[in-house]
Amino acid sequence: MVCEEIEAKMTLYLYGELPDSECAAVEEHFAACADCARHAATARRLQQLLNQQPVAEPAPELLVHCRQALEVALDYEQLGWHSLLRDWTPALSLSHPSGIVAVVGLVIFGFGLGWTLRPQTGRVHTAAPAQASSQATLADLSGARISAIRQVAPDPETGGVKITLDAEHRVTMEGSLDDPRIRDVMLYALRSYSNPGIRLDTLEALRSKVDTPAVQPAFLYVLQHDPNLGLRMEALNAVRKTDWNPEVRGALLNVVEHDKNPGLRGAVVDELSRRALQQHDLQVIQELQRLAETDSDRYVRQKSLSALVALGAAGP
Amino acid sequence: MDGACLELAGKIPAESSPLAGTDESALVRRAQAGDRTAFDALVRLYDREVLRLAMRVVKSEDEAADLYQEAFLKVYRSLGRFRFESSFSTWLYRVVVNVCLDHLRRQRSRNEVQPPEQEPGEPEYFHSLADPNPGQHPEQALRAREIGGRIHAALEQLTPRERMVFELKHYQGLKLRAIGQLCGTTEETAKNCLFRATQKLRSCLADLL
Repeated sequence: MVCEEIEAKMTLYLYGELPDSECAAVEEHFAACADCARHAATARRLQQLLNQQPVAEPAPELLVHCRQALEVALDYEQLGWHSLLRDWTPALSLSHPSGIVAVVGLVIFGFGLGWTLRPQTGRVHTAAPAQASSQATLADLSGARISAIRQVAPDPETGGVKITLDAEHRVTMEGSLDDPRIRDVMLYALRSYSNPGIRLDTLEALRSKVDTPAVQPAFLYVLQHDPNLGLRMEALNAVRKTDWNPEVRGALLNVVEHDKNPGLRGAVVDELSRRALQQHDLQVIQELQRLAETDSDRYVRQKSLSALVALGAAGP
Repeated sequence: MDGACLELAGKIPAESSPLAGTDESALVRRAQAGDRTAFDALVRLYDREVLRLAMRVVKSEDEAADLYQEAFLKVYRSLGRFRFESSFSTWLYRVVVNVCLDHLRRQRSRNEVQPPEQEPGEPEYFHSLADPNPGQHPEQALRAREIGGRIHAALEQLTPRERMVFELKHYQGLKLRAIGQLCGTTEETAKNCLFRATQKLRSCLADLL
């Protein structure tokens, strides 16, 4: 084989798509041609580089979310007009006069039906739950997100239908950060909401209140327990501005002892060092000594040692 | 071809599937007759792989979830037209690949008329917050993120078809013959796409090689 042929076949060779007989010829050529062997080595390095971005396994929460959303979409699909119209499509072939008649008939029928039912159109009948009999109006459902349709039961007596569904309303709250209702929702979001973007927005909004007794524990919770490193870092930045107290100290010491990210542990070492300089906190100095000797990460050990030197608690 | 596609589906071990021992064709027939439970069972058999592929093609989990839903809704709507001329998995992945290709084409045309929302090379917002390997050293993590960003940018230089062929070959390990059929083209075209894709990637990432 000549070099031009090898160039064309190299990708197939590297991806195992070349027949054995051709593979042997390609390998023979590599052995004899330094240029092509070098190209092959570069192509292999490209493959290795691309393998550094492995196929991510979908998070279980994402899969569950996708399945739930699909369930709802399929419910709509089964019940919606879209589906009904599609079922009628073969019967409504407009190339035939009867199709046009059928379309016109359907429009007139629909208009007539709407007119006839005009007084009742503000109401959706829901099946009575086991304990509470409730009827939702269309106005109630306006703007609501239907999260699940539990039952669709035709009523042979009336010719109507009973639908049991779960609906969620979107609620907008406005108010001061001092309003306990607003604050409670935000604290709930910080601790429990799954969307990290919302948690970050909440953290930003509450940052000015980080020194208050109601808000500070939430920041310390995020610093210690949030799964997202960016949020833990943001919480640390906010906590830097708070007064030194046993809760703050406990949270920072907990992070340097247990957080798996050495970057965050290093940042907390800086903060502990700063606080120890101001407060001359013996417990913090002891913790820095422990970190300097035993932390699994060299970067954290070095930072701790530098802090101790700055504090005069270790030789340079 | 079917074998290759089933290889993709087969990454879900049959024993762990709720359908272990159930005849897939029977499920498809029941789903075609309007049995939602059967359709749900089929979704659960393949959806992890579908979501994994979607996550490779798009930038965010939200977009991947949209692709997931779009793909399975298309499968649901067109299930009546499935005639058992190929395996169900082959047919399903063809739908999924088409949805991904359409998405990439839409994205490409949007990118052509809109300025980018962020500077080239700047990491994605959530990407920057992500902590995929908490034990990693910060400098290594930063380097890995930079390389990840470069690879992502290089992959975005590919045409939608080159991108799909490359994803299915490099990351999913399918044979080119199967890829050609999934992408609605020939094995020869898939070969050419793979060749062009690797050339472009090599050129974009030359300084990292």
